[in-house]
Amino acid sequence: MILVSCAILGLAVCASSQSPEESHSKVEIIAERNPTHLDRPSWVGLLFHLDKGWHIYWQNPGDSGEPPKVQWQLPPGLVAGAIQWPPPMRLGGGTVVDYGYEGQVLLIASITGAAKGNARLISGISADVKYTVCREMCIPVKRHLTLAASSDGDWKRWHDLFEQTRQQLPKPLPAGWRVSAESDQSRIIVVVRAVAPMQSASFIPFQPGQIDNSSPQEFASNPTGFRLTLKKSDQLIKPISVLKGLIVLGPGRAYEIAAPVAQR
Amino acid sequence: MAKPIVKSKLIVITVLLGLSAAWAARVGEPAPNFTATDSNGKVEKLSDFRGKFVVLEWTNRGCPYTQKHYNSGNMQRLQKEWIDRGVIWLTVVSSAPGKQGYVTASEENSYLQQVKAAPTAVLMDPTGAVGHLYDAKTTPHMFLISPQGTLIYNGAIDDRATTDVSDVNAAKNYISAALNEATTGKPVSVPTSRPYGCSVKYSD
Repeated sequence: MILVSCAILGLAVCASSQSPEESHSKVEIIAERNPTHLDRPSWVGLLFHLDKGWHIYWQNPGDSGEPPKVQWQLPPGLVAGAIQWPPPMRLGGGTVVDYGYEGQVLLIASITGAAKGNARLISGISADVKYTVCREMCIPVKRHLTLAASSDGDWKRWHDLFEQTRQQLPKPLPAGWRVSAESDQSRIIVVVRAVAPMQSASFIPFQPGQIDNSSPQEFASNPTGFRLTLKKSDQLIKPISVLKGLIVLGPGRAYEIAAPVAQR
Repeated sequence: MAKPIVKSKLIVITVLLGLSAAWAARVGEPAPNFTATDSNGKVEKLSDFRGKFVVLEWTNRGCPYTQKHYNSGNMQRLQKEWIDRGVIWLTVVSSAPGKQGYVTASEENSYLQQVKAAPTAVLMDPTGAVGHLYDAKTTPHMFLISPQGTLIYNGAIDDRATTDVSDVNAAKNYISAALNEATTGKPVSVPTSRPYGCSVKYSD
């Protein structure tokens, strides 16, 4: 029925399983190590390649969009951990701002439960992946993927990708840093006491509906660290007690914060 | 002589806080009045509808999140159900010329016939004036205004932020719930939610 309606409406992209050309994206499951050299824990990942200008979304997609979702299908005894999200880019520049990825991104997850020597198990991994990829239009995509056997050349390249991705992942606050926040009628001010002066920083929230994503963030450096003033979202009607998200200082320098919020 | 320091600080802060309106459309506050032309060339103002509940529904026929609600007939059903109960339902198209989802008035009227949608009116908003007034972010993005002109709902159409038609029936429909509560004199229990969909295609 959906396809018939789509034909009547003359819309090209109604079906949700398009080719890589039609969906402007490719996704595959890759593993960090060759299954015959199994270690514990092992890491797998969803490697996305997006056509120029197209993007997928972060765990908090921002004002629009939807993050990719994965349902792993694993041999008995194996358990997949949560996706580890690299810090996103800000997408869009007007009143609608999103968080996501362009080009290539690897979303990694740990696989635990395999006993040494059970190399066969890990090569039985597959997954159902759903994601929305957008540029001007949005295309919903569904894929069933299987971790394929690959050449030795792939393993080296894939191992490097896992290493690069790990380096970008958000880290806990550096030792000696303290973060708190204050809230007034229209703003939340993140107060960071750092161990060295910072030149710039921005905040990316884990939860939608707290911070206005399109408003500029005011960064003010001071001798003990910095303050970041954020405009509250129109959607926010109850006070936030803890503000969670990323403080990003630059590429590869993103820190997870959970700042208690004092109501002014 | 007055010192200019305070004034210049205020100017700096205003510039840094950017162009966004202080509170575009906050639940509990008066809904911003608008003037817009509908797809039949008639001028519509929010203030004309004082005394009735008004639903604003941002749409873009090319967005798969909107298609979920139109292909399933869900949006058309909602429109009919509530219009039959005296609610004013205004669909809004804020795609700018050249942007995805931009349509002329006659294209929009043909489309309404094709998909059997019968809102009270469709506001043609290619400049995005109404969209920016409400800070509409997605298609769909729903707003509900009380007969007294207060904004009482701002958010998603329902709680299943997906493109799957199969999610429509199982979802909790926020706009229906708000209308059911408000039309029986109860407060709206979920007045805001994260609107989901494709971004509204404003001009650059």
